[in-house]
Amino acid sequence: MNVLSIFNTDLLVAMVRLSTPITLAAIGATICERSGVVNIAMEGIMIVGAFFAAVVAYFTGSPWLGLVAGVFAGGVYSMIHAAATVSLHLDHTVSGAVLNILAFGLTRYLMVLVFGHPGTSEPIARTLGNFQVAIPLLSRIPVIGPIFFNQTPIVYLSFVMVIFFTWFLKKTKTGLHVRASGEHPLALETIGVSVYRMRYLGVIVSGLMGGLAGAYLSIENSASFTEGMTNGKGFIAMAAMISGGWRPVGAFLASLFFGFADALQIRFQVFKVLQVPEEIFIIFPYIATLLAVAGLVRRSRPPKADGVDFMIERPEE
Amino acid sequence: MIAAITVLTIVLAAAGTVLYLGSYFWGGFLILAAIALHLFKVFKRDGAEETMALVKKSYKMLWVPLAGIVIAIVTGGIIMVVTGYNPFKAYAALFYGGLVRNWHISVLNAAPLLFTGLSIAVAFKAGLFNIGAEGQYYMGAMAAAWLGLTLNLPSVISITLIFVIAGAFGAAWNFVPAILKVRTGAHEVITTMMLAHTARYLSPVFIRANGGDPSTSTHPYVTTEILESNWLPAFQSFLPEANYRLHTGILIAILAAIFVQYLIYQTRIGFEIRAVGQNRDAARAQGISIGRNIMRALLIAGFLAGLAGVNQVTGLDHKLFENLQAGYGWNGISVALLASNSPIGVIFTSLFWGMLDAGGQYMVRTTQTPNAIVEIVKGILLFLVVAKYIYVYLGDWIRKRRKRRLAAGVAAAEGAAS
Repeated sequence: MNVLSIFNTDLLVAMVRLSTPITLAAIGATICERSGVVNIAMEGIMIVGAFFAAVVAYFTGSPWLGLVAGVFAGGVYSMIHAAATVSLHLDHTVSGAVLNILAFGLTRYLMVLVFGHPGTSEPIARTLGNFQVAIPLLSRIPVIGPIFFNQTPIVYLSFVMVIFFTWFLKKTKTGLHVRASGEHPLALETIGVSVYRMRYLGVIVSGLMGGLAGAYLSIENSASFTEGMTNGKGFIAMAAMISGGWRPVGAFLASLFFGFADALQIRFQVFKVLQVPEEIFIIFPYIATLLAVAGLVRRSRPPKADGVDFMIERPEE
Repeated sequence: MIAAITVLTIVLAAAGTVLYLGSYFWGGFLILAAIALHLFKVFKRDGAEETMALVKKSYKMLWVPLAGIVIAIVTGGIIMVVTGYNPFKAYAALFYGGLVRNWHISVLNAAPLLFTGLSIAVAFKAGLFNIGAEGQYYMGAMAAAWLGLTLNLPSVISITLIFVIAGAFGAAWNFVPAILKVRTGAHEVITTMMLAHTARYLSPVFIRANGGDPSTSTHPYVTTEILESNWLPAFQSFLPEANYRLHTGILIAILAAIFVQYLIYQTRIGFEIRAVGQNRDAARAQGISIGRNIMRALLIAGFLAGLAGVNQVTGLDHKLFENLQAGYGWNGISVALLASNSPIGVIFTSLFWGMLDAGGQYMVRTTQTPNAIVEIVKGILLFLVVAKYIYVYLGDWIRKRRKRRLAAGVAAAEGAAS
């Protein structure tokens, strides 16, 4: 088979599909870090979101309820990170690592409890993948149409999120406060806005987005929950956030690139165009991520107070 | 006199440790005797006050982890009750299995965790997070398997060589993240994590190339057995009643922990690493090179995590299995955090973690309680120990309440008097 025949529209469609969870998690992480909290727990938040989305979709038969459950579970789980880092002043990376570990234990325990066995859950009858919608007119545009405008619900939602959060950060007052809380928290507190509140908001947004990304994995891109199905995507999302310069649009473009690497890898593996072990292809997206971070990190600047604890001494009674 | 006591203390502690690890539980008395002797020495040398201070210090250091353990176990028990399992039966099986019946499995579990835990602790000392220790583990394991298959030298020489070279492979795997961190500032959490996934998927390729090819081998997904001269000695060679699988890797790991403790707290290198970890600007002002110390810390971390792989291949399995979910990297983070990154502390936390894993398996077999409850207990415990501010918060609250009550009491007394 010809190597060049891999490069077609299908590849780009797959690129968008594979980049969606990364985009969502990367935007969430971007908002979180713009507020000044480092969140390496995205991986754990995603797996929690994926689990609850799958469970609710399986038992109610409605993937839409599953979607809501996944987003909600991600938000609730991220509250632990917010409480630990903002109120309890725990080191952000440490809290994130602990939450990742806890998330995998939690989902494994609940898996046994709910489905009676570890591993992969029973298949969900109706998934969001069944709701493929072609947007009239736009989907007729050659190449661009099928790639961006003939997709499934959460994929569209991710486009909306990119625009929404760009607007939110740049044009709204709350967005300005979130940015200030990550750049110069003391200044924000001086003008009477609670840094704690802004940081809680940032973390919860990352939780909701991480939950959405997880739901995409278990009830849209596939039809069941599998332990460890995030497979490092939470960390790739952080790489996308950094490569994208802590901006939603940048994160989206970087995620597309990582999605492309993944789509390419899968095609090389399936069509066996080169006679090398398949693992070499599996590695490819990870190496691409590494190179992207290494090459782009110098050009992007993290928020000044990113990961810096903020403690306010309140007068006693 | 003091010197003689010191020597005796060390001998007692070492002998007791080896015996206890080899399931000769009376070795515990030797350890207790060593502790008593040490206290006696401090008393003789520095007087009663110093001794009390030492006891108080150890007690203060221990109460946060111990309180965490108790609360985590109680919470786990409540979860079990709510979800319909018997916590008393489950915990009895867990501790009996982990501490007595399958103690040797606990020790076997602890050895690689001790290495990865040390690896992560060293990186933390420099303010770095070696989250991809798993990758360095795979590199060390592959290098050890390859050397184990090819090196045909006297045991002592070849095992030493394997430890040094395979460790160097682990260190080399961290060279790229280190140089990227120094030159471009790329965050090590992402770079080491990506390389961890890379190493993970390289291991099946290596295994197929070394006797694990499913199309030709009768035992696929595992390499050919390494030469017997490259096996780490078993405990059984000097303690006949020890389990036959128990190998001396744990002793090497404990020695490594003592060495790392010395390196971090007693040498110039360790001082510089800690200085960089605590305050980069202050360190730079003192003329300490940030880049060089980041490099050092990550390479030492890589070396130590590589040794975890060596330990598994030359000690336990004598071959390399295809296992993409080994988890030594993640568990290493847990044991390092639980020990507050103290190298000596990691010895105890890795044994504790190994005990929970071994006991958890026994619990599943005998009481049908899902193993994941152990994971939850671990997660809660970890959280309670790392979130030290909880205790400050709690202390503040109690103090405030006491003050308020006192004030109320005074007001009441004044009211009664007037």
